[in-house]
Amino acid sequence: MEELIEILEEINPDVDYRTEKHLVKSGILTSFEMVLLLTRISEEFGVRIPPGKIVPEIFDSAESIYQMIEELEEEN
Amino acid sequence: MLLISYGFGLFLAALVLLYYLVPGRFQWVLLLAASYLFYLIGGGIYILYPMATTVSTWLLARRIGRITRQSKEYMRKQEWTRQQKKEYQLQVKKTQRRWMIFGLAFNFGILAVLKYTNFVLGNVNGLLRVFGADGEFALAGWLLPLGISYYTFQSMGYLIDVYYRKYEPEKSLARFALFVSFFPQLTAGPIGRYDQMNEELYAEHSFCSENLRLGFERMLWGYLKKLVVADRLGPAVVTVISAPEVYDGIYVLLGMIGYTVWMYADFSGGIDIVLGAAEMFGIHLAENFERPFFSRNLGEFWRRWHISLMTWLREYIFYPVSMSRAAKKLSELTGGFFGKEAARKIPVYFGSVVVWLTAGIWHGASWNFVAWGMANCIVMLASQECAGLYRAYHKRFSFSNAKGYRYFEMIRTFFLFACLEMFEYYSFGNVFLMFGNMVSTARFSQLFDGRWSALGLGRADLLAAGVGILLMFLVSVWQEKGRHVRRTIEEMPWLLHYGFIFGMCMMVLIVGVYGHGYDASQFIYNQF
Amino acid sequence: MKRLGARLLVVAVSLLILWAAQRLLEPKYMGRVVEGAFIGEYYQEHTAHDVIFLGDCEVYENISPVVLWREYGITSYIRGSAQQLIAQSYYLLEDVLREEVPDVVVFNVSAMQQYDQENESYNRMTLDGMRWSPAKWKAIEETRVSDEHMVEYVFPILRYHSRWQELEDDDFTYFWNRRQVSHNGYYMRADVRPAGDFPTARRRADYSFDERAWGYLEKMRSLCEKNGITMILMKAPSLYPVWYDEWDRQIADYADEHGLAYINCIQAVDEIGIDFSQDTYDGGMHMNVYGAEKMSRYLGPMLQNVYGVKDRREDPELAAVWEEKCSYYDVCKAEQENEFAETGYLSQFSEE
Repeated sequence: MEELIEILEEINPDVDYRTEKHLVKSGILTSFEMVLLLTRISEEFGVRIPPGKIVPEIFDSAESIYQMIEELEEEN
Repeated sequence: MLLISYGFGLFLAALVLLYYLVPGRFQWVLLLAASYLFYLIGGGIYILYPMATTVSTWLLARRIGRITRQSKEYMRKQEWTRQQKKEYQLQVKKTQRRWMIFGLAFNFGILAVLKYTNFVLGNVNGLLRVFGADGEFALAGWLLPLGISYYTFQSMGYLIDVYYRKYEPEKSLARFALFVSFFPQLTAGPIGRYDQMNEELYAEHSFCSENLRLGFERMLWGYLKKLVVADRLGPAVVTVISAPEVYDGIYVLLGMIGYTVWMYADFSGGIDIVLGAAEMFGIHLAENFERPFFSRNLGEFWRRWHISLMTWLREYIFYPVSMSRAAKKLSELTGGFFGKEAARKIPVYFGSVVVWLTAGIWHGASWNFVAWGMANCIVMLASQECAGLYRAYHKRFSFSNAKGYRYFEMIRTFFLFACLEMFEYYSFGNVFLMFGNMVSTARFSQLFDGRWSALGLGRADLLAAGVGILLMFLVSVWQEKGRHVRRTIEEMPWLLHYGFIFGMCMMVLIVGVYGHGYDASQFIYNQF
Repeated sequence: MKRLGARLLVVAVSLLILWAAQRLLEPKYMGRVVEGAFIGEYYQEHTAHDVIFLGDCEVYENISPVVLWREYGITSYIRGSAQQLIAQSYYLLEDVLREEVPDVVVFNVSAMQQYDQENESYNRMTLDGMRWSPAKWKAIEETRVSDEHMVEYVFPILRYHSRWQELEDDDFTYFWNRRQVSHNGYYMRADVRPAGDFPTARRRADYSFDERAWGYLEKMRSLCEKNGITMILMKAPSLYPVWYDEWDRQIADYADEHGLAYINCIQAVDEIGIDFSQDTYDGGMHMNVYGAEKMSRYLGPMLQNVYGVKDRREDPELAAVWEEKCSYYDVCKAEQENEFAETGYLSQFSEE
């Protein structure tokens, strides 16, 4: 989880990722930043995120992102 | 059948009546029949095109779905290791991908040929001329089938979703046909998503006067925007932007602002009519506009303007392209030259260029639209690059978080968007020329030379448009604060509610721009 | 229950407002262009007419019903309007027959040249004034221009709403009632503009009339026959546009075939006594009041002696009604003559 927060802070340092629940919906994470995030996630965690999962429901909070990463890691 | 015609009003009224008379389980069938009737009236024999898209997409989606199901069953029967399962799934996915690509190629192919052949031929002819060749290709005289840009994108989104296994494919061809050709969406969108629409589209809807009232009120609001504001400004704006040699100086500014307001009133008004009509059937389509001029930067703007298209592009082009192997390869190549930081950004750049190229040509088959798309792309990427700088700036200067600064940002975004729009109607060179001309030679006095009167907007017209725009602004402010305007009016005392609606009806009826204009000079005798 | 009543009242009031807005926005045709008021004015008549004239400006500018009465006791009405199409003439005849059955119907045949409407405004001037009846519905259906819709006739506010920017005093003054602008359908002009030269008529490739025009001519003839009305075909004495011999022949043939009279006033100009330097107000296209009176004196004896139209000057009721018409006519004529003598033009009809 910490690594995820680190990545997020690299992209946009002004947000408290532990409490923010609307990263996508309130435009904090733009689509450009999403791509950067996805690239870094696949670099750091070695998982490829299927396009079907690139939805606001998952990417709105750091928690749900991490949950998804864990699930993908398990599948591998 | 245009949305603005007596015929459409009659059609809709009759349909709503029938809709609430037939048994619930036939309501969607009625909508399908009505949608096909609407298409036949508006597009005639061209209905074969959406039918082809419907059938091909439905078949391919079902095939993909069947493969998924069968592969899962097969896997369950086997005693495989995880690795073997993974490999099998990869094979399965490859097959499914091939079917999906076939579907995309077929349907986007139809769209491409019909929409862009003349564009391609025109450019080829241009090249031939450059090389001194004698002959040239005759341009095709094809008409575009009604709604092809919208229903093609909507169906292809569905096909891609099924491939991504977001949901099961629709079993019934008839139901799928309704999804593709639902008549309110044909002329102006929004581009819908199957999983967002299917519940309401096929459900049984019992009579609910609230739906009828709210739907009607929304349609009325749309007609107000279109007939009082858009159709009033349109001809004048076209005159200004079509003749940059004549309309320079301050007219460039007027043209820019006018064009933007016109586009917004026209497009969002049309969407209001569409969504209002659908609402009367208890079907709530996705919003396409969310008060875009309250955006503080261009990025936010594109999340509030033509939302359904931008969402589609983001999901089905931007993310897949940015995360594709091609992007990765490109990134690795550049990594060698420019370092890791730069390499990480390549997918974003690559994806952006593809998205904005697509956005450009989706709007129209001409280099103007391509230029417009690229201009937006450059601005967006540039502001992305400067994101870090902006953040530092905001931290340092605390006033930048004040309310006043926010208004400044909104106005700035409006003008930025308006400037970029110039690429749509001025030739590429002219965009910079006219911008420079405007900045250096604009004078208020230019409004009082003869050029203004040629625009056909008298004082009464300006007043009418002004009131319309003011109303639009007030409603937007209300909505931006989180209020649901129609519900608020509903909750007012009946007399006030009725008065508002009656007032709006009168405004559209009397001040709207439609029908023959009364022109006393027409009555001058002419025996010759 | 009380609430429902109150709401119904509010709805009724809003309908009233809509009706008032529509009435306000409709053109009143009381100013420079009065032709639009002619068709509606017919319904003010309360006594019968033995002769009805149908047609366009060649009929309503060239005949004076007041002179027909004063000198021959013939009661008549000119149901003419601007650019009246033959189909419209037919349906106006049907409309007349709902109120009365005249002895004679005179139809000016210049409308045979052009079956379809060119200018939507003329349709409005002819059709808006008609009272609603199957005849009006059919007239609209048959003659409307491609971008006109029936609903715009049923609710004229849809057509005239843009006049909100051009409302004039007349729209308020004449909100309830219009004033009388014609003299039993006659458009009076007492100014004079002598006939000048006209371009020589070009030869045409095709002199045939539209099949549909013949169709409506036949319909008119048989409608008259069925009602025992004598139908007379007429061609007014205009110098322009040209009435070709080929056209004249076709009409004459038709008249012969069906036993109808056909009066070509162009050929009878000398007999009528028309002086194109005095009797026209627009250089020879239409008669002024002097020409119209001469036309009436030419047609009057024919109508009376040949077609048996009665002299009704002895009828006290008619005499009273027409006495008023005559004095109004004389007053208007005197006013116009004075103004023309003083200023050289008529201000009501000139462009500012």
